[in-house]
Amino acid sequence: MKISLNLNGEQVYADVEADSLLLDTLRDQLGLTGTKEGCGVGVCGACSVLVGGNPVSSCLYLAAMADGADVWTVEGLTASDPDLADAFVECEGMQCGICTPGQVVAAAALRRHHPGASPEEIRRWMSGNLCRCTGYGTIIEAVERYVGRD
Amino acid sequence: MSAVTEFLAPDTVEAAIAALAGDDEAVAVGGATALSLMMKEGLLFPSRLVWLGRIPGWDSITAAPGMVRIGAGVTLADLAGSESVRRALPAVAAAAGTAANPRVRSVATVGGHLAHADPRQDLPPVLLAAGAVALVSGPGGDRRVPVDDLLVGFYETSLAAAEVITAVEVPLTPGSRQVYARFNPGSADDYPTVGIAVHVELGPDDTVASVRVAAGGCASRAVLLHEAAAVIRGRSPSALDLPAVQAAVEAEIPVVGDHRGAESYKRRVAGVWARRAVAGAVGDAGPLLGQPVAVV
Repeated sequence: MKISLNLNGEQVYADVEADSLLLDTLRDQLGLTGTKEGCGVGVCGACSVLVGGNPVSSCLYLAAMADGADVWTVEGLTASDPDLADAFVECEGMQCGICTPGQVVAAAALRRHHPGASPEEIRRWMSGNLCRCTGYGTIIEAVERYVGRD
Repeated sequence: MSAVTEFLAPDTVEAAIAALAGDDEAVAVGGATALSLMMKEGLLFPSRLVWLGRIPGWDSITAAPGMVRIGAGVTLADLAGSESVRRALPAVAAAAGTAANPRVRSVATVGGHLAHADPRQDLPPVLLAAGAVALVSGPGGDRRVPVDDLLVGFYETSLAAAEVITAVEVPLTPGSRQVYARFNPGSADDYPTVGIAVHVELGPDDTVASVRVAAGGCASRAVLLHEAAAVIRGRSPSALDLPAVQAAVEAEIPVVGDHRGAESYKRRVAGVWARRAVAGAVGDAGPLLGQPVAVV
């Protein structure tokens, strides 16, 4: 079936199967490989994207459900807001990098849903994004810096 | 993933029921967070997916006299964030806001959550304690199913073929005290080892006129704990026999041991947490070991 997405602000089309996952559609069909597959079961957050402004695990999200929706990936979010990637670079909020796109998308979602989030709210929100290098300190610093920016 | 050949997104409940009735291997889809997992694991092989997310009003929360009606398509995030739910049904909001992680909560729906019937879920015990009723539609018409009659066992409900949950009605009980206390020693997004919901209403003489205690995470489904409620009912909050509450819970609760705890361990945890949750419901609304608690 054919679906249309408003992907990173641009209208795109994809031909998907009934059970295609948004993750595979983004990576394999639309060439946006910033979104990673980590656990594949909605736990780690490496595949985070925004659908309709909400963070979702694209490894569990059926591509067909995104038909007609606004979808933002790490590529579009960082291109449209340089502060987002800058915060992670300035705080060195990454180690091996596999979780980084998901952490960045989660930070963008946090600022949309909870502008001015408290340190406690930031930790609670980001608890759904795992870093297997356990480099959480600088990731949280980066998110605090980004969320705290005007 | 599997042999899925069709994805349908009907825009009426009637069309959804017809689509489900037309294929023995059809499955209704709420947010697909659990469904995708089950297909990936090879536990489900649907041939037709019927997504309910395009039905107008599916995701609305409406206040009706004496109750809040939660559309089956309301996401856990919207339920947790709804001002009216937070005010009138704080334990429901707390449970919805603590399940899984923000990504799952922004997609998983109330209807899908109930139909999935995983015994470790957070909402079923809270809805049991609140006396919630599921509104169900199917080829045979509409019916009202108390959540206690909806839940059957592991991933099993009393829904008939091609029936869908359209909404959940939760009675409003002004002045009631509601608590959801979950014991979760794992990561923040893990299922609880035990989740205890308590709903207490005081009578004009300040004794407990109505009380329901429910537990999730222990048995093959969330359960109401009637013996524990009997220990509490009719008592003054200041004269509650809390050790007797704990003993009643530990005696009556059905428990299946799993990797979150052996049968004897979970039985004791359920008793201790029920005692604390009841104390929280009738006393100060202090946090229980930092876990989310809600009281009005």
